Amino acid sequence: MADLISAVSPPSRPEELYFERFGVTQEALRGVMSAALSRGADDCDLFFEHCVISSVSMADGKVNRASTSIDLGLGVRARVGDQVGYAYTEDLSLAAMLAAARTAAEIAMTTPGRAPVNLSVLGLPSYYPVKERWAGVGMERRVPMLRAWEAAAFARDARVEKVSCQLVDAERVIAVVRPDGRVAQDFQPMTRAVVSVTAQQNGRRESNLYNLAGRAGLELLDADRVNRMVNEAVDRTMFLFDAGKPPAGEMPVVLAAGASGILLHEAIGHGMEADFNRKGVSIYASRMNERIAPSFVTVVDNGTLDGSRGAINIDDEANPSERTVLVQDGVLKSYLHDEISAKHYGVAPTGSGRRESFRHPPMPRMRATYMEPGPHKPEEIIASVKNGIYCTSFSNGQVHIGAGDFAFYMKTGYLIEDGKLTRPLKDVNIIGNGPTALERVEMVGDDLMLDEGGWTCGKDGQGVPVSQGQPTVKVGALVVGGVSA
Amino acid sequence: MSAVPSLIDPQKVARDAVALGLRLGADEVRASVGRADDVQLQRRGGRLERAQEARTFGLSVSLFVDGRYSSHSSSDMRPEAIAALMERGVESTRLLEPDPDRALPERALMGGLDEASLDLDDPTARQRDPARRREELEALEARAIAAAPADLISTTAHLWEGRSESWMCLSNGFEAQSARTTFGWGVEATLKEAETGKLPEGYAFEQAVHLSDRPSADALMAELDEALSLTRRTSACASGRYLMVLDARVVGRLLGALLGPMSGGALHERRSVFLGKLGEQVASPRFSLFDDPTIPRGLGSRSTDGDGLLPVRRALIDEGVLKTPLLDVYYARKLGMAPTTGGVSNLVVPVGDRSWRAATAALPEAIRVTSFLGGNTNPASGDFSFGIRGQLLRHGEAVQNLSEMNITGNILDLYANYVEAADDVRLNSSTRSPSLLFDGVSFSGA
Repeated sequence: MADLISAVSPPSRPEELYFERFGVTQEALRGVMSAALSRGADDCDLFFEHCVISSVSMADGKVNRASTSIDLGLGVRARVGDQVGYAYTEDLSLAAMLAAARTAAEIAMTTPGRAPVNLSVLGLPSYYPVKERWAGVGMERRVPMLRAWEAAAFARDARVEKVSCQLVDAERVIAVVRPDGRVAQDFQPMTRAVVSVTAQQNGRRESNLYNLAGRAGLELLDADRVNRMVNEAVDRTMFLFDAGKPPAGEMPVVLAAGASGILLHEAIGHGMEADFNRKGVSIYASRMNERIAPSFVTVVDNGTLDGSRGAINIDDEANPSERTVLVQDGVLKSYLHDEISAKHYGVAPTGSGRRESFRHPPMPRMRATYMEPGPHKPEEIIASVKNGIYCTSFSNGQVHIGAGDFAFYMKTGYLIEDGKLTRPLKDVNIIGNGPTALERVEMVGDDLMLDEGGWTCGKDGQGVPVSQGQPTVKVGALVVGGVSA
Repeated sequence: MSAVPSLIDPQKVARDAVALGLRLGADEVRASVGRADDVQLQRRGGRLERAQEARTFGLSVSLFVDGRYSSHSSSDMRPEAIAALMERGVESTRLLEPDPDRALPERALMGGLDEASLDLDDPTARQRDPARRREELEALEARAIAAAPADLISTTAHLWEGRSESWMCLSNGFEAQSARTTFGWGVEATLKEAETGKLPEGYAFEQAVHLSDRPSADALMAELDEALSLTRRTSACASGRYLMVLDARVVGRLLGALLGPMSGGALHERRSVFLGKLGEQVASPRFSLFDDPTIPRGLGSRSTDGDGLLPVRRALIDEGVLKTPLLDVYYARKLGMAPTTGGVSNLVVPVGDRSWRAATAALPEAIRVTSFLGGNTNPASGDFSFGIRGQLLRHGEAVQNLSEMNITGNILDLYANYVEAADDVRLNSSTRSPSLLFDGVSFSGA
């Protein structure tokens, strides 16, 4: 019984309706959709979710903490144009599902229009095949893994004082059911591992971490990745002992390849989400097909990258995932669309309708956002800067959509003096204006790298997993949160 | 609120979970069940844009088995699903390594404040007419549109209400039950600034435990008007060190920077700038900070904390001296100290006796910080760096709206240079602090 009830297992046959195992029949699905459409809504969707997240942690030399979280429920959305009625229930009994549908239906106030047709399960691509599921990896195998990470971290540097490690795996099945008969069912795995280190040097303490994440099973944690995770966690901590602050003010900023994609995410990506543009509140709302960056800048949001944290086989409205070119050779080419914004603009959805869980309606969201490689070598980019900074790792960012102002937090980096990396730097916020920063992109490297960390994007109270990447990029001027004399 | 009457008895679910855990071999069990009713409405362009309603349940269980510990949660409240969760939980806990510091708190430390005296459950919530909510929101949107400046391009009005209840049941016999209501509304607006092409946005959101305490539409409009005025024609001023007026609306960001390093986890992991500083001067003697869970109708008030400990008003920092680390039962045992609480409730900074304008009137220049953008704090070193917006003040009067600037420093230096509190405390917040003034803060800008 335990396995059937509390563990996720994907549909065994392509045509199997996953949620039938919770007593949800095809007839019930049609009835719930009829209820959602009963007051004249144009369209509706049912979003079922079954998710099990397991976590095991190590601290003080012991693997002594574990947790499990199970989420099961249904979200019902009824739509009238761009008006949305939404309700959800964790109870999958027919009465509870019908009540949620009737609540959602109240957004409309006419007579029933359409009726749902027979259901058909869609075939989906497979951007995240799992080689070894965590469901088959017991605690007796997980405990030694964490122990090994801890031991390697202590062995790396004698200044290491504390190490904590965490392994989190999530297995999630979603089913999106539409009145036109589409049923999209997707098994969505996620693995995340984190090593945190505290070290002491001459009475001073510093702390830092490194994490890995991706849509994969146990195979994500291969020897190369695990070594990099442990070594980076330790080395990035030691780096902080010698690091200081740059001078305050506006200066050229070079972003190292990889996690610096946070610049794109904050400065450009959110502004490309079409709900903001549909409402006219994004700084990019009136700039379609205009040049917004130099010709060597191409920005992509891609949900099809194998095993990446931002990958999705299908979006949460049952539309196919895709590679969406936002900026082509410096020209704004597309926003990220859900169905509501796609209808508003008269274009096809870009497979960007995503939601945190069945408790939330979908909206346009990023998946894996990155800049395509450019013409410059990373060394020549650094050499081109007289006085500026080089950012190597990041922790978080934020944007004001309308004004376009954005910020990201540099955890580690270097001062650049006369084209050379000199003093190590740490803990600096960097701020700028998105459109201005794009125009000020002076050089783009040929070394695109997708970051392997566990980024989560927050919007309107919903968090979704995303990826980001970038080649080495030079922005002519951003305001660096240094220290004034 | 929900159209489906629930057959679930939350208290019974919590008690049954404890009993089942013990039957399965756990030494101790803590179970909590939460139930929440939630309504969210949103209007834009003269019509309802989004209406959301739900009743939600959740069970959380902590298991203590043979000196080992695990925690589990589920929204699946079917008895067979809970049984499966508990079986798996107990089994997997046995495979962990022992942790002698994991145990329920001593019964003598546990307790609850009188729910009636806290007054956190407004009976109005259960009598609310859904149509009345929609009328109130429609009227609020109409006010916002009528008061809109000529360059307004979008306004959205929001209303949210909810009632949540929780039941905690421990195998040592302790039980607690609490309920709270929330009534909130707000308006956000976006302008089109002709000179720059920017679309600056402003907002005003307010909430209260009781409907009668919810700030009026007039108050929201005044707040929105000020927020929008702060977004117009912004630019950076010169980098340098300035006296900073930290506005009461955003003071939580820099008070929060103190709380991370005060936590038991940070102290135990030695990731705290306050390590070894308990009882020492860590801020100006003018600065005091309290945690007060006992305030009637307070947004952060509570009758018992997450461990079941009796809530107590405490000085976290008293006249600059670090008095109380935030220790839940587990980390208190780890550190060999008495538990306090694992998380803060209402943060209180005593109110000053003059306005920030009066306090800065004699200064040729100061900067008032009115919002943050990005940024972070390193709890181990105390280093911080945040993006800000605000106003450049000359002799207490605003002369320039600021954006694209950062503040950077170390929280020990920042609070050592604390000057005074203004007289403008906000009561509709769990951060009950007035605007705070700090000297010599490093701003980076143009």
